[in-house]
Parts: sequence; structure tokens; C-alpha cells
Amino acid sequence: MAPPAQTVRSSSPSQPSGKGEVSDLKLQLRQLAGSRAPGVDDSKRELFKKVISYMTIGIDVSSLFGEMVMCSATSDIVLKKMCYLYVGNYAKVNPDLALLTINFLQRDCKDDDPMIRGLALRSLCSLRVANLVEYLVGPLESGLKDSNSYVRMVAVIGVLKLYHISASTCIDADFPATLKHLMLNDSDTQVVANCLSALQEIWSSGAATSEEASRERETLLSKPVVYYFLNRIKEFSEWAQCLLLELVAKYVPADSSEIFDIMNLLEDRLQHANGAVVLATIKVFLQLTLSMTDVHQQVYERIKAPLLTLVSSGSPEQSYAVLSHLHLLVMRAPYIFSSDYKHFYCQYNEPSYVKKLKLEMLTAVANESNTYEIVTELCEYAANVDIPIARESIRAVGKIALQQYDVNAIVDRLLQFLEMEKDYVTAEALVLVKDLLRKYPQWSHDCIAVVGNISSKNVQEPKAKAALIWMLGEYSQDMQDAPYILESLIENWEDEHSAEVRLHLLTAVMKCFFKRPPETQKALGAALAAGLADLHQDVHDRALFYYRLLQYDVTVGERVVNPPKQAVSVFADTQSSEIKDRIFDEFNSLSVVYQKPSYMFTDKEHRGPFEFSDELGNLSIGTESVDTTVPVHKVEANDKDLLLSTTEKEDTRGPINDGAYSAPSYDGSLVSLAAPQTQPEVATSNPSVKEHSQSSFAIDDLLGLGLPAAPAPAPSPPSLKLNSKAVLDPSTFQQKWRQLPISLSQEYSVSPQGVSALTTPQVLLRHMQTHSIHCIASGGQSPNFKFFFFAQKAEESSTFLVECIINTSSAKAQIKVKADDQSASQAFSSLFQSALSKFGTA
Amino acid sequence: MLQCIFLLSDSGEVMLEKQFTGHRVDRSICAWFWEHAVSHGDSSKLQPVIASPTHYLFQIFREGITFLACTQVEMPPLMAIEFLCRVADVLSDYLGELNEDLIKDNFIIVYELLDEMIDNGFPLTTEPTILREMIAPPNIVSKVLSVVTGTSSNVSDTLPVATGSCVPWRTTDLKYSSNEVYVELVEEMDATINRDGVLVKCEIYGEVQINSHITGLPDLTLSFSNPSILDDVRFHPCVRFRPWESHQTLSFVPPDGHFKLMSYRVRKLKNIPLYVKPQITSDAGTCRISLLVGIRNDPGRTIDSITLQFQLPPCILSADLSSNHGTVNILANKTCFWSIGRIPKDKTPSMSGTLVLESGLERLHVFPTFQVGFRIANIALSGLQIDKLDLKTTPARFHKGFRAVTRAGEFEVRS
Repeated sequence: MAPPAQTVRSSSPSQPSGKGEVSDLKLQLRQLAGSRAPGVDDSKRELFKKVISYMTIGIDVSSLFGEMVMCSATSDIVLKKMCYLYVGNYAKVNPDLALLTINFLQRDCKDDDPMIRGLALRSLCSLRVANLVEYLVGPLESGLKDSNSYVRMVAVIGVLKLYHISASTCIDADFPATLKHLMLNDSDTQVVANCLSALQEIWSSGAATSEEASRERETLLSKPVVYYFLNRIKEFSEWAQCLLLELVAKYVPADSSEIFDIMNLLEDRLQHANGAVVLATIKVFLQLTLSMTDVHQQVYERIKAPLLTLVSSGSPEQSYAVLSHLHLLVMRAPYIFSSDYKHFYCQYNEPSYVKKLKLEMLTAVANESNTYEIVTELCEYAANVDIPIARESIRAVGKIALQQYDVNAIVDRLLQFLEMEKDYVTAEALVLVKDLLRKYPQWSHDCIAVVGNISSKNVQEPKAKAALIWMLGEYSQDMQDAPYILESLIENWEDEHSAEVRLHLLTAVMKCFFKRPPETQKALGAALAAGLADLHQDVHDRALFYYRLLQYDVTVGERVVNPPKQAVSVFADTQSSEIKDRIFDEFNSLSVVYQKPSYMFTDKEHRGPFEFSDELGNLSIGTESVDTTVPVHKVEANDKDLLLSTTEKEDTRGPINDGAYSAPSYDGSLVSLAAPQTQPEVATSNPSVKEHSQSSFAIDDLLGLGLPAAPAPAPSPPSLKLNSKAVLDPSTFQQKWRQLPISLSQEYSVSPQGVSALTTPQVLLRHMQTHSIHCIASGGQSPNFKFFFFAQKAEESSTFLVECIINTSSAKAQIKVKADDQSASQAFSSLFQSALSKFGTA
Repeated sequence: MLQCIFLLSDSGEVMLEKQFTGHRVDRSICAWFWEHAVSHGDSSKLQPVIASPTHYLFQIFREGITFLACTQVEMPPLMAIEFLCRVADVLSDYLGELNEDLIKDNFIIVYELLDEMIDNGFPLTTEPTILREMIAPPNIVSKVLSVVTGTSSNVSDTLPVATGSCVPWRTTDLKYSSNEVYVELVEEMDATINRDGVLVKCEIYGEVQINSHITGLPDLTLSFSNPSILDDVRFHPCVRFRPWESHQTLSFVPPDGHFKLMSYRVRKLKNIPLYVKPQITSDAGTCRISLLVGIRNDPGRTIDSITLQFQLPPCILSADLSSNHGTVNILANKTCFWSIGRIPKDKTPSMSGTLVLESGLERLHVFPTFQVGFRIANIALSGLQIDKLDLKTTPARFHKGFRAVTRAGEFEVRS
């Protein structure tokens, strides 16, 4: 009966097109406005209903505003509600008329019925008209003191709404303080929860400008407040529990006994019927135990069952959200889930996006003991009706093969795929066999026998064709008719649309030529001629290059094009571990579903209300000022560069999903261009390292980090001079931090002046920078701060890396130093200490 | 924090719009969403969380209605989805069922409900008992009343008492002349049998559902004779945690009426009630299919409503299927549906026929998956047994009853 989608906006017989009906309504409303006749409420109700339904359909009925307000004098609560709804919808566009409603709303705020008081207050605050804020303060004040909790609950959120309309009015009326008092004293848990959510929002958005707000925001995370909430958590509604748990996840306990107390207290939340509560609890557990490896492990074991149950119960939508989180955990710790692999088996009815996640998890959890069963299962999907999933499962089999030691059985399966006579199966399998051979050259004999039987005419997809051609070139000595297949492919040069395939064809025919010159010579000539005439620049260049190479010296040519190759041991991962860590830190958020950390997809302003300053586990790279000055996409690009190490950077340039399969472009020909015997990683990373150090000036500049503007040179002891303009990009830092051993670990006390000066991490950064010690990452909030610093010797490029944890309540700083030159670390440490001791004194 | 909720009809029409914050979300987002949905087949196949150019969208699909919520800030996705599910549940509870016409007829009530369920984008109360006290459902009684008395307000005048009490799911002043409580175990068996006929996975998802009508504030205790078989459990907020931890008994003050007390999972089961043996052979462009269905492990009760459903692969042009028991239907979208009912005593139900392949295809490469449906009354196949149900202070007239049922969940046999 409903009209099709396209006509929604246009009129259909059942929907009034507008003007006539609206003016009709206007007339009728006017007649009723003054009437006190019995039954008038019923007729009003009918009219109101009509108005609201027009509004819902999307017809503009704002012209009735005056009449609606006139009719609003009624004791009927449904009429009132409809009227509130109407007024709320149109007040913003009719600020002048909205003034008319203030009167009756204010009167209703004093009604005897708490329900009406609450509703009226809610509507009053939802008008959101800036010039009416003065009328809000009074009703809100009495609302917050109301004897009924329903009204207080509404009033609290009303304060937040007021804050968004006019922050200054809200602050001037001292509402935040009132809310804080309510939060800590009210008997009704919903009121308390609303206070918390309102205060979080008010203080977070105020924190940037006001010292007081940021201090208040921190007190929300103080021990007494967090414990106050934790002890009452069971009395709160399920949604309020989510809010509290989110707060607890940001709390930094002082010691491990506190951590265990919190976890014991919250353990039963894992059995809550509401999945959102369960997931929020899991986040608390994971965050609390990050630094305790053993316990963290046990937490995984503990949360496994609730997560798996959440996946299998509930609607498909809920399962998906849980599954995305499970996916994250499985990818982090596959070994813990390896015995639960059956949970990741796909059901026929599941949507493909669920199947895809499950396939990835199956791939991750495969180990020696379950591989056979998993691969058997995956092979069944290859005959699936859903072709994309069939492809994914074949890829999954291949990935498992590449991560296993014992691949006998898997190779057989892959070869069976090749014989299945389905073009997409063959295509995927070919790509996999090629990757497999690059890792396990010893299998070439078995594979080549099967690959040799595949007619190149049945392979159409460029990637698969490229893989087949690569194998033809690489193993031409084992394949009887390799030269002739290549020859026939070259004859059809003109019909080959993919440049990638043509490039591979050139290289393959070269390789074949070196192995079987007499049979290939003719094909080679044809290929070079076709390549030289090719319109594609790369193809043309490669053909020319080969041509000249052969002209110069054939043996040199062979060394360049077909050098002995080492087996690939590990294929590059598509997502760097830093990014995975970032996503993990944002557990229970959209980042997990998108599989991207939030800075990659949300702008700063929208991350706002929920993002407290970064906690210890979630160190921010660089300082805060970045996003405000640079357009978002630019930041994204920079962030990416900062987070990825050089080799990974190469990789992400390709389409991310295909990363592992785009490998042919790394093959022999590319390696040999640099120098025989050199591994591709080395060859390609050298230039980009240089590029990095050049560009890092610009990047650091953006981040406000290692500015060359460091003033007065450090008053350092003569034994060690630091480079005031040292630069180091975060990825190198992270790499070095992982590689180097700790050469020194010490604890200093921090001077009282230092403690009092350390209100935000940024203050210390600036101070240390004047001593030529630069910060690369910082985080935390009072009393715990964490910093990563680095410094460089003035004359040589030897660097020092420092992790520094400062606890302001105990006035202690713990530092760990890692250094390229271990002998100098003691000198550096004293330098660091002297710099730190001067903090706060200037 | 959700910024707004839209309810869309089957055709993408906006049936309802509710804004929560000062940042109005323009309706054009629905048009964007609908285009996106249409390009993906239909909205039931769409991911629940989507990024539009301006907003992040959460959507769930129930009975032809899409519940769409928008946000611009980072928030727990499961919370948004859970909330939407709860909205859908509450609406279908209020309106009896959920469909387009009901929503359109009762849009005022939907607005009222949303108003109480969420404020400024943060969920408040979704507990049906409390909502019922604030907004009366549009049932026949109130309609009759309104005709008789002339007042047709569907809002109760008093505020719910329970909002302030520590048992928020229950009102204190309930009175029944006869007190009754019914406990039902509802189980769903998920099983996968692979191409070689091996049972690769079999587990049961179960729920303990309670329907209670008891005067006052009853304190109930429910215990099982074999709670150790449960792999994981989840409880309604009314269940006290300590008694379960110490001796696996469920101690609770129930909400009034029907509710889900607990859900559980039992893994690694070995016995399935039915076997299904598909055989598919293909040669030279035609394909023969035969299917046998019979009892594998007799549960001791009658197996009812046995059905078998499968999708013909796209490469099949036509099919000719017949059975010796029950009826076989082939629907337009190439879904075959064989309803068997009960297994007769004298013969094994079988279905056989030929499939004609697309020209050019010699053999069948894509094999169908058979989805099995059944229902067994009066038994919980997991083996879970209720030991006893006690009421702390038993009222004069008290009646309790137990039931169980097991259905097939995702029960599939691959070929």
C-alpha cells in the first residue's frame, strides 16, 4: 500500500499536498482555541493528531504555530504532549513565536502533577532558542530541587541542553556545581547517572578553555568518585551502567590489589542480559590489566564464554557488533581461541559481512592441532553459492598454508581447487599457488604438474593470469610447453588489457629465454617488439630496458632478470601493529566495527564529548593542536605515515585488501633492478628512509614537536652534548624501543615545584625541549603521567630513548633509558635528571 | 550518544522522526540510506553499522520496518544496536505486533514512548513494566473505557512508583486472586553436518522463560538438577548473583508477566534427533538428487513440524522433485521447501528428482545446503532439568507449572 521509495517526497493520494489542507486546519484550530464546550478536547485531539502526522510525513505545518499555542490551554496530557512535540519541532525556525509558548510551558512547570512538570521542563529546554535562555534558568533551578525524581532527572538533562544553547548562562547560574552536588548525594540512580553524563559533556567541552573545567573533569576520575559509583553500580539502570563502566575504564588504579577489587566487583556484570553492559565490562577488564601480562591472559579466558554466547544469541545485528569485537580479540590473541574454532564456522544464512569476519578469525586461529579440520571446513565453502565468500575461503586456505609449517595436506587441497573447473576458483587458487611457491619452492614439482595442465584460455582475471605467467617464467625448465604457451600469449598481446599482465609477460619470457634460449628466441623478439610499441609507459620502459640489457651483455642480463632467489619467509601484514593497538585501546567503540582507529575516520570535534584526554594505555602521538590547524585528510595522511614503518608504508599504497596478493610486483625483476642478491625490502626501504628523515621536519613541525626553534642551548655537563634539533619519527622510535635493551632504570623524586607545575603533560614537554630532550608521545592525567622522550648526541647520530612515568601524588619519576651507545646512558641519565629537577623552578 | 531516530517503512518512507539533540539531522540522510540499501539488495542484508558521508548510522530491520539511528560522535556500537532492538521489542509489545500500519496508526504512542526511553540521545529506561505505567498501551480495554467514560487519555495520571524503588522491574502493589507462575525451557539446537556426513558442530542455545502473576513482592528460587552442563549463562537484572555463584540456584524477584529469566548455552553435544542424507550425482548436463530423512537418536517424544529447505544453485534451470511423504514446493526464487510434518511409522520419508543444468555445464559444482526445521515438545534436548521452584512466602492459592520445547535453530546439512 505504501508508495515506492522514489515518490515518498512527492504527493500521493493519501497525503495532502499541503497548502489547502493546512489552511483548513488553521481555521478549525482557531475555532476551537477559545471554546470551552464539552468534548472540545476530543476534537482538538483529532486536529493535533492530523497536524503531527503531517509534520511526520514532512509537510511544513509551521504556519500553524500561533493557533497551536492558542489551543494549548488544556488539562489533557496527551494533547499537551502532542503540543510539546509540535512546539519542539518548530520553535527553532520560529524564534519569535516560540516566545508565545514560554508562558504556558512555565505554568506547566509548576503543575501539581510531576509528570506534567517533567514534560513541560523537557519541552522548555528542547526549544533551543538562544534568546529565550533567560526563561530557562528559573524553572531549571526549581526543577533540580523538585521533590520528584522524574522532574530532577529531566532537569539535569535540561541543564546540559541549556549549556549547549548558552554555556555562559549555564555557568553563571552555577549549574555544574549543583549537578555535582546532586550526583554525589541524590538518592535516585537515574538522576545520578544523568548528572554524570551531563557533567562529562559540560566539563569535556569546557576543558579546552577553562582550567577549572579540566580540573573538575579529572576529579570525575578520582578514586572516591569512581568508588562511589562502583559500589552502587547494581542499582543503576542497564544504560547508566554502560556509562559508569565507560568511566571506570578510564580510571587508573594505584596498585594491583585495587585492580583485583574492581574486577571482583564487576565480574557478575559479564552475565548481564544486556550485551552493551557485558561489552563495557570487558573493556574495563582489558584496560585494567594491560600492564599485567598474566592476568591479562586470564581475562581473555574469562571473557571468552560471555562473548561467544553474545554472538550466538540475540539478533543478527547484535551478533555482528559483538563479532567485530571478538574479531579484534581473536586477531590479538589467536592462540587463546584456537580451541573454539568451531564457533567461527559459517552458517549458510549469515550475511556475507559476518562470514567474512568469521573467515578471518578461522584463518587466525589455525594452528597445528586444528588446521586439518579448519581447512576441511573452508573447502566446503569453496563450493558455496556465494561467490565472494567462496573466493575468500580459498584465500583463507592459502593464508593458513603460508602461516603453517606442515603444508602437505593444504597443498593437495589447493591443487584440487585448480581442478574444480570453476573460473573464479581456479583464479584464486593460481594466485595462492604462486605465493606458496615463493615461500616453499620445494613444492614446485607437485604444483607445476597441475598448473601445467591449466589452459591459459580459461584464466581471465588479471591477477590470476599474472600469477600463471609468473610461474611459466619461473619454472619454464620444468614445464614442457612453457615457451609455446608464452608465445601464444604474446601473439594475443593486443587483446591483453591489463598492463600488469603484459609486464609479467615480458619478464617471464625473458626468464624463459635464459633457460631455454632456442625455443624462446622468437617469442622474446615478438614480446620486446610488442612491448616497445606499447602505449603503456611502464610496459614500454621495461621492454626497452630488457632490450638494452640484452644488447649490453646477455649474462649480465640473466643476473639482473633471473638471479637466484631466496624463499620469502613472511609476507607483509596489511595493518601495522600500531594501528591494531590503537583500535584495541578504543575497544567498545565504532573504531572496532570499522577496523580503523577513530582518528582515521572522525574529525576531532566529533570525537569530543566522549574523549577524555588520552589515558596511559592510549598515548597520543604529538600534541593536541594538530587537528585544529590542518584539514582532516591531511592529518590522516600524516598520521598514517607516522604510524607505519617504512616497509609497511610501501605496502599500504596498494589496495589494502589485496596487500598479500599483490606480491607479484615484488618479484625477481624488481629485485634485480637494484642489485643482484639484494632483498626487495632493503632495496626499496633505503630511499624511503632518507625521504623520511627529510620529511619528518615538516611532520614534526605540524605536531609541534621537535621544533628547531629550541632556544638557549642546554646547560649540560661537558661530558655529553645533546643535539637541540634532534629529530626522530615515531615509527623509528617504536622500532628502536622494541629492539634496544634497557640500559638504565632509575627512580628520582620530583621537586614539589615540579609537581605543582605538572598540570598537563604539555607543560613538561616544553620544559624538556629547552634541554634538548624531545617528547615523542605523552599521556595520562593526574596523578599519573607517562612520557616518551628522545634525545640525540650533538656530534653523532646516537640516540637516547626514555620512558618516564611521573606520579605526582608520590612525587616520584621512574625512568627507563635505552640508548644506541650504552656507555653514555649514565651521563644522559644525570642530564635528564638535572633537566627534570629544574622543572617548575623557572 | 544518538542524535536522532527514524522509522522507515518497507518502501523507504519516513514514518517517524525523533530528534534528540540541538544538531538536527536532516531527513536527506534517510534518502541516502535508502539508496545505499537498495544498491545492496535490501536493508536486511545491509551491515548494521554504516558510515554515511556525514553521520554514522545504526540500523536494525524488524518486520519490514527499518529502525535507523544517527550519530556523529564515537560511541559503543553495541549500545546503539541494543537500544534499537529494545525499542523494537517495546513497540511490538505495546502494539501487539509490529508492522507499518500499526506504527502509522499509533504514531503518537511511539513518540511518547521514545520520549521516555531516551533523552538528549542517552537511553533512560527501556523496562516495559515502567513504561507501561507511564504510557498506557492502546489495548481494547482502554478503548472501551474511553468510549464509556468519555475520557480517552491513554496516560496514567500517576508516576510509576517503581522508578524510585530498588526493584525497578516491578511495581509493588500487584494483587491477583490466584497466583501462578509458569516456567518454560525454550531451546534451539544449532548443528552443522558437513559433506561427509560428520557432525562438525552441535550446540544448544536455551532460554528460561517465566510467566508470573503473583501478589506482592514474591521471592522465587529456581534450581536445576544438573546446572553443571551449562557452558555460559546470562541473567535478567532481577537475578541475584551470589546464590548462583555459590550453589547455582536462581534467586529473584520476578517482573510481572512474561519475561526471559536467563539464557544459556550448552556446547559440544553429540546427539541430534534427525538424520538427513542427501545424495547428488550429476553427469552430462542432468543431475539426480535424492534425500532421506529419518530419526537418528530418538528423543523419546514426537518430533513435529519437520521441514527441509534449500536453495537451488543459480546454474540450475529447472527442477522436478517429488516425495513419498509430505509436500514439496519450489518457490519463485528457487527455494525448495519440503514439509514433512511427522515421520510416519511405516516408511522413511524420501524426496528425489532431477535437476536440469544450464547448457554448457556438464557437472554440478555448487552444492546446496539443506536447512532443517523441527520442533519437539516437552523436552529440553540439552538435558537440562529443573529441580524445583520455591516461593519464600507461599500465598493461599498458588499454582506453578513447567514446560519445555526444543526447536531447530541453524540446523544445516551440507551436500
